Amino acid sequence: MSDDKKSDSLQPEEIRSTGSPLSAKRGPRTDGAASSVVKSLSLKKPQGFFEERSLPAIDMAPGRLRYLTRRDVLLFGAGAVAALAGGGFLLPQDTLSRLGVRRNMDSPGKDWVLNEALRIDDDVAEALYSGSRRVPTYTKSQITPLKNNYNGATPDPGYISGWNLTLDGLAYGLSISLNIRNLLTRFSVHEQITRLVCVEGWSAIAWWSGLRFDDLLRAYPPMSQAKWARVESSVNLDASGNPDPYFMSLDLATARHPQTLLATHFNGQPLTVDHGAPLRLLVPVKLGLKNVKAITRITYVAEEPRDYWAERGYSRYDGI
Amino acid sequence: MSHLTLPANEPNSTSALPEEPSVLVAKKHHLLVRWSHWLNVPILLGLILSGISIYWASPIYQHKPDPITGNFDVAADIGVWICAHVPGLHHYSSPPDWIYNHMSFGPGMLALALRLHWLCAYLFMLNGMVYVAGLLMGGGWRSLLPRQTDLSDALAMFWYYLGFPYAKLTRRKWPHPRFNTKYNALQRAAYFSVPVAGSLSVATGWAIHKPMQLHWLAALFGGYNAARVWHFWLMWLFILFVVPHVILVFADGWDTLRSMIVGWSRRVKRTEPIANER
Repeated sequence: MSDDKKSDSLQPEEIRSTGSPLSAKRGPRTDGAASSVVKSLSLKKPQGFFEERSLPAIDMAPGRLRYLTRRDVLLFGAGAVAALAGGGFLLPQDTLSRLGVRRNMDSPGKDWVLNEALRIDDDVAEALYSGSRRVPTYTKSQITPLKNNYNGATPDPGYISGWNLTLDGLAYGLSISLNIRNLLTRFSVHEQITRLVCVEGWSAIAWWSGLRFDDLLRAYPPMSQAKWARVESSVNLDASGNPDPYFMSLDLATARHPQTLLATHFNGQPLTVDHGAPLRLLVPVKLGLKNVKAITRITYVAEEPRDYWAERGYSRYDGI
Repeated sequence: MSHLTLPANEPNSTSALPEEPSVLVAKKHHLLVRWSHWLNVPILLGLILSGISIYWASPIYQHKPDPITGNFDVAADIGVWICAHVPGLHHYSSPPDWIYNHMSFGPGMLALALRLHWLCAYLFMLNGMVYVAGLLMGGGWRSLLPRQTDLSDALAMFWYYLGFPYAKLTRRKWPHPRFNTKYNALQRAAYFSVPVAGSLSVATGWAIHKPMQLHWLAALFGGYNAARVWHFWLMWLFILFVVPHVILVFADGWDTLRSMIVGWSRRVKRTEPIANER
């Protein structure tokens, strides 16, 4: 290495005073006088707060350095093995089988770890939620196309003519059925141009109008102990066209958000069957999968209800 | 902090046997820096592999669907191209999935990939705090700060690396640029950028994870869609950093690797005041 030449050019007088080449044997520095010299020298050269400091060097017995190296390298190896085992333990079964692992490695422990991560993330999302915080709204020129993202087949529009919305778990122990005309005449219509964000990552800005969920809650108050709404569509189909009712949990705090709509119109027109005619949930503070299309029933309950996508490994709160 | 006082009376430095000369060593990396450095390996691997599985669900780079295959994903096109041109892959069962089968946990597992991504992301943030704590406690943060001379010094280093293989082959003298700081300018630029990129990854991650509650954060990166693009390319920055990082550590030798495992380095320079001012 040519580093001592460099030091010559940088600090010649100091090199001269040290005068020892790099390989020189160094004794333990226990000399009190030497350290006092260092102190006085360092006083002469005050360093800025951001200036790089030199690394404090010490003399170490080679045996000690070997011991520390051996110990830490062994610890490092153990850590690497543990990380490999932990990583392998968490790998999805599909990935493992592609790597040639035939045995089913799914275990309750793995699910527990991953569910815990999901639960922490849901708690964070719930803490971030504020009922008074509005989501950004856009202008009509910023509207983007919104695809029909029915998970399975799109239902036959035949259901629309006989459609009713049933409310369950109301304050007076009654169940009530409303048709679309009841809803449109009874409640004031609100419009908003907001972004719908899908769990897959895509999003679309669309112009929605409908009644506020909050207004419905005021008109038909839920039972006092209710904290959740189970929002349901009985017309949902699976990919092969068989009935596959869709159900979703929604906390009432989010239902009361002023931008949570029961939408009846999309881009100024009544909802088409693609977008959940005649009434869909539009809850922009949640992922798209909570925005149930063609709602047929809302049930107010005290305990968190089941959720279609949570049962398929997604999170249950889905606040964004 | 008294960085310049001699730790002369440390007990472990006086136990030298008389026949074995003692060696001059310095603690290069704080324990927490070393821990967080190595923990980044599995965490970043988990983030990248799960991240590309998530990317599969809705690729950023798309084109109009192919009239025959219906494919719109550029990453799938690359997989198809690889399988068509790389010998031995001509019979690969699903070319559009090649990228996802080799650079992620796999296609079609969004729910699992999201759960793994959140797990790794929270660990990554915790690990980042450990790293910052180690930098502060060990004083290492000062070595990462940019200097005025960095640009010319970095060019000199770049020139050195560029010419190094040729000089070796032709047995020519090719002196290493001289510096008397912990890192050379190129290293410093890299080691300063990586924590910055890590912070930006976390920020863009939150921006796309909570685009409504944290819409100001998404707006900072140009909106929700732009933040996704940022998040994607920041991943590539880590990948592009790691490749030369690993090559250069092995090229540099055992002492450098040891300093990140054990902490101690024997490469203590005379130029440093501690040695000079005795």
